[in-house]
Amino acid sequence: MASDTDKIFSEFKEHSVAEFFKKNKQMLGFSGKTRSLTTIVHEYVTNSLDAAEEAGILPEITVKIDEIDKEKYRVLVQDNGPGIPKKHIGKALGQMLAGTKFHRFAQQRGQQGIGASGCTMYAQITTGKPVKFVSEYDSKKLSGEVTVDVKTNSPLVNYSEEAENPEKHHGLFVDGEFAECKYDRSSFGVYEYVKRTALANPHATITLIEPSGERMAYPRSHDQIPKKPTPVQPHPLGITTNDIIEMAHHEPEFTRISSFLQNRFARVSAAKVQELAAVIPDVDLNKKPGELTWPEAEKMVKAFAQVKWMAPATDCVRPIGKEQIEKSLRNILNPSFISVTERSPKIYKGGIAFMVEAALAYGGTAGKRIGDTTGGDIIRYANGAPLLFDTAGCAITESVKEIEWKRYHIRNFEEEPISVLVNVASVYVPYTSAGKQAISQEEEVYMEIKNAVMEAARDLQRHLSGLHREKDRANRRAAVMRYVKQLSKDLTDLANKGKADELNKKLSHLIETKYMGQIEDGENEAEGSGGNGKGGKNDEEDEKEE
Amino acid sequence: MVFMATSASKDKEVIGKLEGLGKQMLTQIDGEESPSFTAPLRSKGNVFYDQGTGYIRLGEKEETRKFVNVGQARKFMQTVAIANKCKKFLAENAHTSIRGLFYQLKFSLGEDLDEELFSEQSESNPLIEDLEVALSLKREDLNLNTDRKGVVAGPMVLRDTFGGRETVIDCKKQGRSGWMIPSDVDNGMVIEELEADYVLVVEKDAMWQRLNEDQFWKKENCVLITPKGQASRGCRRLIRRLASKKLPVYVFTDCDAWGWYIYWAIKTGSMNLAYLGRDIATPEARFLGVTMQDIQDYDFLGQLTIKAKDVDIKRAEEMLSYEWINRHPEWAKELKTVLTTKKKIEQDALQGPRLSFVGDYVREKIKKKKFLP
Repeated sequence: MASDTDKIFSEFKEHSVAEFFKKNKQMLGFSGKTRSLTTIVHEYVTNSLDAAEEAGILPEITVKIDEIDKEKYRVLVQDNGPGIPKKHIGKALGQMLAGTKFHRFAQQRGQQGIGASGCTMYAQITTGKPVKFVSEYDSKKLSGEVTVDVKTNSPLVNYSEEAENPEKHHGLFVDGEFAECKYDRSSFGVYEYVKRTALANPHATITLIEPSGERMAYPRSHDQIPKKPTPVQPHPLGITTNDIIEMAHHEPEFTRISSFLQNRFARVSAAKVQELAAVIPDVDLNKKPGELTWPEAEKMVKAFAQVKWMAPATDCVRPIGKEQIEKSLRNILNPSFISVTERSPKIYKGGIAFMVEAALAYGGTAGKRIGDTTGGDIIRYANGAPLLFDTAGCAITESVKEIEWKRYHIRNFEEEPISVLVNVASVYVPYTSAGKQAISQEEEVYMEIKNAVMEAARDLQRHLSGLHREKDRANRRAAVMRYVKQLSKDLTDLANKGKADELNKKLSHLIETKYMGQIEDGENEAEGSGGNGKGGKNDEEDEKEE
Repeated sequence: MVFMATSASKDKEVIGKLEGLGKQMLTQIDGEESPSFTAPLRSKGNVFYDQGTGYIRLGEKEETRKFVNVGQARKFMQTVAIANKCKKFLAENAHTSIRGLFYQLKFSLGEDLDEELFSEQSESNPLIEDLEVALSLKREDLNLNTDRKGVVAGPMVLRDTFGGRETVIDCKKQGRSGWMIPSDVDNGMVIEELEADYVLVVEKDAMWQRLNEDQFWKKENCVLITPKGQASRGCRRLIRRLASKKLPVYVFTDCDAWGWYIYWAIKTGSMNLAYLGRDIATPEARFLGVTMQDIQDYDFLGQLTIKAKDVDIKRAEEMLSYEWINRHPEWAKELKTVLTTKKKIEQDALQGPRLSFVGDYVREKIKKKKFLP
């Protein structure tokens, strides 16, 4: 994992960093013009969110996109985070980090992408321009610009201003120019990304100023900063052969595999190591971790599955939160109905904890709009970060489409004002690929998503059937009411008694009482069974032609 | 039923019935109940042949239509509208057809409603029948006319007070055309003189003209009627009234399933008009001919058969399934013969030997009492 890519980087010479970047652009999120711009915004926004949360600040982020030229944009991001001190700013914005933050085994947003330095690199490659920044922290205000030295993969920072900051403002401002980009309101674009990020981060205020000058503001709906994720050790059941080898070969401080296992994995006790040893007597658990071979590691993984482990801790899973999702949906989509599930963490692959949050919003601005038509929208998240790409093949998309929506009074999912929000939270989100834009269809994950959405759908069904009943009652009332006037006239005439106006009132009252009541009488509303006499105008005379 | 009340008092009675229906509905409304309208069910499941009396009638099943019911509200309103309109006709002593009634009631329910009280006659027709059956009235009692059909001649004098003017109709003095039977032979219509020995109903107008030319009714002292095919309500009602005057009724039709069906409709009534029951059925009627047996008895007829049509075959099969027909072995035999020979004979064939043979044939049949039940 991390070490491999580290090695790759160190082995490259000269322009190799740029070369590597270009070659792997796709994998790093810079494929397609719309997607590239989204990736840039994504890198900055997630950094801002993570930094503010870590510092205990309620995030406020403004993103501004200007169109400079055809397929050339200026992206400006201002946050209210802690800012970046001088000694870190170069590394944060100008050094390509190999790998990810994966090694921390904590659930974080920034698991995707390659960070702000990747954006600097992209600016450099496509426009040749550095990225400007203003960092305010403690009592300093630092302005300048940064590029990546492609020979050494180290940052080149030019400071234009270093001033005092007596008001103790804090925050980071970045400003870069990027080409081979495209701004649009498609479901892969920045617009949708910001909206979805705002949905999943109700404690943040996010504003987007589009190239057209239009301002989309998503004010916070909740003012509690999410708890910091707790780093956890991997559980034996969530581990692959490769993982073990990687870890074992980088643990020189342990002299024995057995102590490495006990100290680096969750739920592995001395007793469990003995159990394990009994299953694989031919693997020497007393040798150094660095000497562990691939076949041995393979056996070990198989053996892990045969030992009964305590389930992994689930407190490392950090959901968005039921209340937060609800407020957020109400805030942003203004729907007529919201249903959010609150489910306990589940396990996939025998031991990896994950948790699915599902929510349905119906009415208001829920659903996606294509021209004048509204259709069902699936809003996917992994650990609260929006998944915009690789829609097909994602476990979320697939399980939502698999649901028989008719059962829940949604006649056609593609034509209703409904948004389905699903967040899969886990230390190890099972992504389909390195692009980390889709969740693989692990059976347990797939089923849990489906069950969660169906749970939310049941609430929606109750809501909709209530609406249907009420609408139905109103329809029935109106259907009978329209005949009252004529009947009142005829009936008073026929009986030669009473006044039409008075009868009109009485009949209206009668109808109101029947169709307003919560309990309808059990009268069969079906068409009367009789009255089907043939009644041809000449009775039977037509029957025989003469 | 023998002597009908005069037109005016009868109208008053009908108006009373209609008002009563309305008052009953108002009482329901005052009791915070949905107004309702109950009528015997006219669907096939409620139609029976009454063996004791010999006619087709409705059973006991009833249908109640409520106004405060989505499926029934429109029909309910329409039924009341028809009742009210008919009450007006009666009060004004004006008559119209069921089509005329439909046009009287074809209007918009209001500017804000894109709906008419009636938009098709097929909506109003069955509701008229509902009213007839619910109030034990005939549509003629509601001043609704049906098309006139059927002609009569014979020793009978009628007094007609229609429209408040009195007219005496002498059926002996109707010349070559006869007297056309009106749609209503009850209201304001009194049989003043009737000196006939029997009633002869012949299916076809051509036969009637033949017998009229031969002065058959005068020679035989009978009432000669042609329904001109299927008998209209008025025609059937007249036959019923004459039968009630103790006159035997003989029916003479083509020898085919259609002709026989005309006979059975006169005799037992029909499924569609089951709700009128005994008022239009004449179970005393006898069938005079033409029969399949006649082909044996009259040699010349053998040459004059024609091929039965598909409709004849179908109708024969249908009639064989009616219990009131197949209970008579003679009829079952006749119908089966039609099905096997696929032949038929028209009344007109009896003019084969000579034109006046028709009269001889009828005379002989009556004299020898060669009837089918």
